[in-house]
Amino acid sequence: MTVQTRRSECEEIVRRLWPYIDGKLPDSDRERVTRHLEECVACLSHFDFARAFLEAVHEACPAEKDDEALRARVLAALADEGFSAAE
Amino acid sequence: MAQTTDPSIPFAPSAANDRDRDFAATALPLLPNVKRFALSLTRNEADADDIVQETYLRAYRYWGTFAAGTDCRRWLVTVCRNTFNDLVQRQAKSVAVEDDELESLATARAHNAVVAAGLGDMYSRLDLGPAIQKAIAQLDPNFRDVVVLSDVEGFSYEQIAEMLDVPLGTVRSRLFRARRQLQESLMVYALDAGFGRPQSGQRASSMEKKT
Repeated sequence: MTVQTRRSECEEIVRRLWPYIDGKLPDSDRERVTRHLEECVACLSHFDFARAFLEAVHEACPAEKDDEALRARVLAALADEGFSAAE
Repeated sequence: MAQTTDPSIPFAPSAANDRDRDFAATALPLLPNVKRFALSLTRNEADADDIVQETYLRAYRYWGTFAAGTDCRRWLVTVCRNTFNDLVQRQAKSVAVEDDELESLATARAHNAVVAAGLGDMYSRLDLGPAIQKAIAQLDPNFRDVVVLSDVEGFSYEQIAEMLDVPLGTVRSRLFRARRQLQESLMVYALDAGFGRPQSGQRASSMEKKT
């Protein structure tokens, strides 16, 4: 494979970066990207960086947590609407 | 005991009780999820609490429109987003549809710039949490909604398209563009904080991840 061919193949693969990571590529495209990533360190690096970014975004957002004060406030507002919590 | 029903009462007591029990069992346990989503919209605890309260009031009033057995978190998040939009009277902006593949390509090029700046390991090396939250908040609302629904809340492209009432292609375009903008913001942030190669001796050690 020539350098030029390799470059165009890499570009074709990188164009599918996000859909591949999101699991949205058709099977044939997905297999092609997977095969390429097994042998191309440069492209693999792009994909790994993108995955690390998504992980950082997910971790950066606050975890869901119980908020008793808010729950009580919401229940009081709902009670004004006629809601009756049958605990 | 047999119950009598009075047709003059809009909600017969037993029906109202069933409705309330259903609401309490299905919608109320999702309050932490709704709160987190509201926080991602407002970035302010007090405003988020107001949004959550209004969301639950609307959800209760329109509980009859929720299809039992479907995804209640998705329904509540949609109500929450609409509530937020109504409260801030946000106008939907038309956003030019970008080429999805070009956004992927631009992301890879941005990665090359990051590596050249000595920041190739920035996500593992730096604590970027606050910077990521700030960067998300600064996105155009149309982009922010999609990236939060996808990358924080974990909804699929198809679910987001339905929730936002936009075509699937628009979801993809906005998502990829939002991710690229976030990556660029984080790179600028890391460089400004002195983590790039030229200023490697001036690192702000408080941002380094504890290992």
